[in-house]
Amino acid sequence: MKKVVTVGIGGRSFVIDEDAYQRLSLYLTRFKERTKMGVQSGDVMEDLEQRISELFTEALGSRLEVVNINMVNNVISQLGMPDGGTMDEDFGVRDDYAGTGTVKKLFRDPDNKSLGGVCSGLALYLNTDVVLLRVLFVIALFMGGVGFWAYIIFWIVAPMAYTAAQKCEMRGLPVTAENLRKFSNYK
Amino acid sequence: MNEINTDNIKSQMRKGVLEYCILSILNNNDAYASSLIAELKDAKMIVVEGTLYPLLTRQKNQGLLNYRWEESQQGPPRKYYSITERGRELLAEMDSAWAEIVETIALIRNNKK
Repeated sequence: MKKVVTVGIGGRSFVIDEDAYQRLSLYLTRFKERTKMGVQSGDVMEDLEQRISELFTEALGSRLEVVNINMVNNVISQLGMPDGGTMDEDFGVRDDYAGTGTVKKLFRDPDNKSLGGVCSGLALYLNTDVVLLRVLFVIALFMGGVGFWAYIIFWIVAPMAYTAAQKCEMRGLPVTAENLRKFSNYK
Repeated sequence: MNEINTDNIKSQMRKGVLEYCILSILNNNDAYASSLIAELKDAKMIVVEGTLYPLLTRQKNQGLLNYRWEESQQGPPRKYYSITERGRELLAEMDSAWAEIVETIALIRNNKK
């Protein structure tokens, strides 16, 4: 027994195994990256998805109802990458990237803020409890106002983490499709 | 090692004329992406289909191609590609360039004898 997901591809809906879904969405993300066309890749992805939906319809025939990992792998090897390569040949590159891409950055956290998100951002950066930081800041406020100015400076210097990518960086997570989805506003 | 090299040369050659092939096919008749792919695969011009989609989009953005949506009996509408006037002009230039290359190669090979 497997959990399934329903997706729309190229104007048709498919029921697809979860592992197959993960694989396919990774493929689409990589394909898009490797077209190196940025926002202009919309048309390319539209054509690609249309083709994928045709191939799935063919593979399913009248017997099967659920797209499985084999069908996805077949489609991926048939379609390949925009530069003519295969999907997995840049695994190494991606892993390197993920390794170096996990540098934490200081942001202000809009999801957990009580004033400017400074304490919540700092807490994520320092891996400490946000309440502890808030208490410290309040105590510092009564001890000569240093805490007040420190807070204001942090507020000015640290940017707010608006996008999902920034929220990943704030937590020191690699910016991958999966992580982006976690912090995306559209769910 | 030797074999890899010849493969590489062959694929470079194919890549060079792929855009020419797309325009030629569309000059004969309009086609939707899948039938274009089938034709190019039969001719052994492409190995993986993914290479074609960015090319089509680029040629469309350059004004060489156009597309329209057409209803199909089974499933959602399909995207039909067709060549534009500008595409035809470029194709004519490519035709003569191709003829020139073929001629030059023939000349060189005959000289060798």
